[in-house]
This record gives sequence, structure tokens and C-alpha cells, in this order.
Amino acid sequence: MANYGMALDYKNCINCKACEVACKEENGVQLGADKHRIWVGVKEIEGLWPNLSIASSTFEPSQCQQCENAPCQEVCPTQATHYTKDGVVMVDADKCILCSYCMEACPYDARYVKEDTMTVDKCTFCSDTRLLRGETTTACQATCPTKVRTFGDLDDPNSEISILLAHREHRTLKTHLGTKPKLFYLI
Amino acid sequence: MFVLAEKGMKIIERFIPMRHTDIRELLKFEKTPLNLLVAFTTLVFLVLFVVGATNYLIHGHHAYGVTREHPWGLMIAMYIFFVVSSTGLCIMSAIGHVFEVEVLEPFAKRAIHGALVTLLSGFVVIFLEIGHPLKMMIYNTISPGLTSAIWGMGVLYSLYLIFIVIEFFFLLRHDHKWAKRFGIFGLVVGVAAHSNLGAVFGFLVARPVANGIYYPLYFILSAMVTGCYLIFLMYGFKYKLNFPPEMQKTLVATSKILGLLLAILLFFEIWRMLTAIYGGMEDRAETALHILKSSPFLVGEILLGIVIPFLVILLSNGKAIRTMVFASLGGMVGIFFMRYDLVHDTQLYPMQTLKLREYQLPPSFIEYFPSTTEIFIALGAIGIAITLYYIGDKILYLETDPD
Repeated sequence: MANYGMALDYKNCINCKACEVACKEENGVQLGADKHRIWVGVKEIEGLWPNLSIASSTFEPSQCQQCENAPCQEVCPTQATHYTKDGVVMVDADKCILCSYCMEACPYDARYVKEDTMTVDKCTFCSDTRLLRGETTTACQATCPTKVRTFGDLDDPNSEISILLAHREHRTLKTHLGTKPKLFYLI
Repeated sequence: MFVLAEKGMKIIERFIPMRHTDIRELLKFEKTPLNLLVAFTTLVFLVLFVVGATNYLIHGHHAYGVTREHPWGLMIAMYIFFVVSSTGLCIMSAIGHVFEVEVLEPFAKRAIHGALVTLLSGFVVIFLEIGHPLKMMIYNTISPGLTSAIWGMGVLYSLYLIFIVIEFFFLLRHDHKWAKRFGIFGLVVGVAAHSNLGAVFGFLVARPVANGIYYPLYFILSAMVTGCYLIFLMYGFKYKLNFPPEMQKTLVATSKILGLLLAILLFFEIWRMLTAIYGGMEDRAETALHILKSSPFLVGEILLGIVIPFLVILLSNGKAIRTMVFASLGGMVGIFFMRYDLVHDTQLYPMQTLKLREYQLPPSFIEYFPSTTEIFIALGAIGIAITLYYIGDKILYLETDPD
């Protein structure tokens, strides 16, 4: 049993979107702007021309935060959304009734409707694809040219992610909501 | 099929006092301009429902205007509109026949009939919103998500339906002892179900404008207001504004209760806005200010839904019951906007605050407008409610004593 999480050295992101493409390819996510498991947020450049602050423009790659206290799991009426033994929040398509309550409840806008099954879908840390095949990385991590993402077991003190989090300051998104996200943004 | 229906009716007639009516008799009504207008509008609404529902069955949620950022739309608002009406009518009915407030007893049966009709119409709408309604019935039972307010609401509304059907059965048989017993169950479960519906929004930690205790309480209060408006509309239409003296007393009492409820509702709204704007939470304050400046809120919710009926009651000391029928019509429009706004406003504030793609502006308040299919189904559901009400009114004895 593991406790999977991900650290993002987001300042290394160059907004090439290779992660989005790899995710779509690996997990069969349909094409279309509103069909995405992961995305890159762009912080616009601050200031007025010609006094523009180039340093203010940053990219923030993101996805499901795999919350330890996931609001989407709490509100699911049929337990379609559940935690795996490895602490990953997953959707059981057979049980999903498409009431969209989880989409309403997610503070990170990380869920979307998968058109072929007409059920709600989200990032699974590639649990049902790459990890199932015995690989140890997610598609977005494996493809990233600037090594933004580090995926691994938070409970293993010798894992790369544990060592990284022990040595680097980090923050989580919307921490005040008490969702305990397992995506850590390295500062 | 008609033979079967007739046989079924004969069996029901053994248990419930009913007017013996055939289809031809059912379609007969006094051809006044108002009756013809209502009949024509209802017919148009029913046709729109068939068109809308067919389009939904072909295209699924693509036929609706909902998006990833705004997953709930007009269908959820209409479902709430109907079930709020149902709970409101149930509570108002219970004041008379369960708590024995004599002056309100005359509308007990008609109100429960209205509660049943609106609940069923609400169920029709929600069945056209949930992606997999049949799967819902199976997995709600064998894999219940006990922490989910939607699960609680589903269970409680199902129980509520059972209780008010039994309550209505005994009311029609003039068995007041058992009607009262099931009335208590219906009332308690109805209030629990309805406040649970408020909690569906109140539990949303992601949506600060909805999160908290406000909606579960507000739902019950606004349900009672809706119940009063519908009682005015039902009796205004039945008596064509020429109320008999007994009914005048009942409606004056109803309008006084309504006045108090509206005052409390206004008080609720004022404090909701004040705490949201000055509560120190930036996203909640921004959303509240946006709501405060929107015309559906100001004209719909506040002016039509609360202020105009309240002024009519206040200025006439509750005695202008004819004017109240018209004010109630406007009031129901206001109530619709209350439901629509609560669904839309909850989703106004964007969850992602950064630009997600090149050439796309940073997210602003989320926009939504219902699609034609949604509007057709919503109007159609009103048509279904009026049709069911008309049929019940034709074949059942809905006054205190049999005609």
C-alpha cells in the first residue's frame, strides 16, 4: 500500500503542454477544450507597456489534487467516487449516475464529463493505465522536458518525492478549505 | 388501455370517494376566456415538453446549456422550484389539519393534492437531468453514499412521497385520525428532505457563497412562502376571485401568515448579503456584489418575490385577498428566480483563477443561459403540473366536505 502524491517544480514549466498531450494519449481523454484531466494555468504579465514585469509571468501546471479529504468523494451519492488502497481518488464508471454533484463540489475544477461512457472522469495518477502495467511514473511526469513533476509514495521516506518535500519549501492550493491536497507546489 | 384505466378507476373508487368521470367528461370545462387561455397554454406547454424531452433523449446533456464550469442549470432550478412548492404546500396543509388551526383547515386537502402534483412534476424534471436515472435507483440502494446530501435527499423525498400519498388517501376518506398521523410523518420527513436539499448547496466547501447553514433554513422558510402563494393561486382560480365568506376568512389568515413569513425572508436576505459582502471573504464578497447588482435578483427575487406581496399585505392589513392573487402570480415568478439564482449564483465564481489556454482571457464570472431544450422541458413541467392538478380537481373531492 502506497500513499501517492506529486510534487511540482512549477517554476520550471515552459508551457509546452506536452503533459496535456501525453495525458490525453495515455488515458484516452477525448479531444476538446473542456475535456482535460490536466492543464497549465497561465499568470498574465503584470504592468503596462513598456513597463512590463517579465518575472511576473508564470505557469502553473495542475490537475486533480488527489485530496486526502476529497469533497467530491464525500458528496457522491453512490460511492462511485472512492479512494483506492493507494490513496488515489477514482471514479467507478459503473456506479456513476452523472448527477454532477462532484463537479459542483470540487474546488479545483478537476472533473469533466467523459462522453463515451457519459460519466464523470478525472486524473487517476495513471493508476488504471501505467501503474497497472507496473510502471512507476505518470504520463505527464514521463514526458515533461523540464522535469516539473515528481510522482511517488509519500509514506516511503526514501522516495524521491519524500526527499524533495523534506528539502524544499512547498505549498498546496486552497489549503484553507481543509481538503488536504496531495499535489505540492515547490517554492 | 381505456378499458383497463376504467377498471382501475373502479377499484380505486371502492376506497376513495370520487366523482365518476369518463374521458369526455374530464375534458369538459366552462369555456370562459380565462379557462380557454389556461387550457391553451397548458396544451402548448405539454407539446413543448414532448419536443424538449425527445431532444434530450436523443442528444443527452449536449442539448442543455450546461458546461464543465457550470454543470447545473435550469433543470436543477426547476426541480428545486417544484419540490419547494410541494414542501410548502405540505407544511401549510399540516398547520390546518395536523395542528388543528381551524381557520386554515379548508385548504388541507387541496394543498396536499398540490403537494403531490408538484412533487411528481419535480421528479419528472430530475429524471431528465440525472444522466443515468435507472442506475441511480440501483446504486442509491446497493451502494449508498451516506455522507452525500443528494443521497439523503433522494431517500427522504421518496419516503415523503409515500407518506403524503397515504395522508392524502385518508384525507379523501375523511379519516382525520389516520390522516393526522401520516400528516405528521409527511411533515417531518418533508421538512427533513427539503432542508437536506438546502444542504446539497450548504455542504459545498468549494462555493463560499452557498456554504453554511443559510440554505437549509432558507429553503424551509421560502417553501412556506411558496405554499401560501400557491394557495392564493389555486383558490383565486377556483372561485374566479369571488370568494365565499368562509374562504375569505381563510385567505385573510393565510395572507397574515404570509406577511410574517415575507418579513422574515426579507430579514434573511438582508443579513445574507451583509455577511457575504462584509464577511471578509474576498470571493464570497465579489460574488455577493455581483448578485446584488443583477436584475433577476433585484426585480425577480426581491421586488416580485418579496416586496410587492409584502406591501399588498402590509397596506391592506392582509385583507386585499383579490389583489393578493395577482401578487402571488408575480410572487411565483419571483420564487422561480430565487431557485434559478441560487443554482446559478452558487456556480458564478470561477474555480480556476488563471488563464488555462493561449488566446483565452482569464476566467471571469461564469456565464450560463438555458438552452431551448431546457426551457421547453421547464415550461413543459409546469404544463404537467397544471394537467395533473386539473385531473385531480375534476375527479376528487378536494374541499373539506364532499360536494
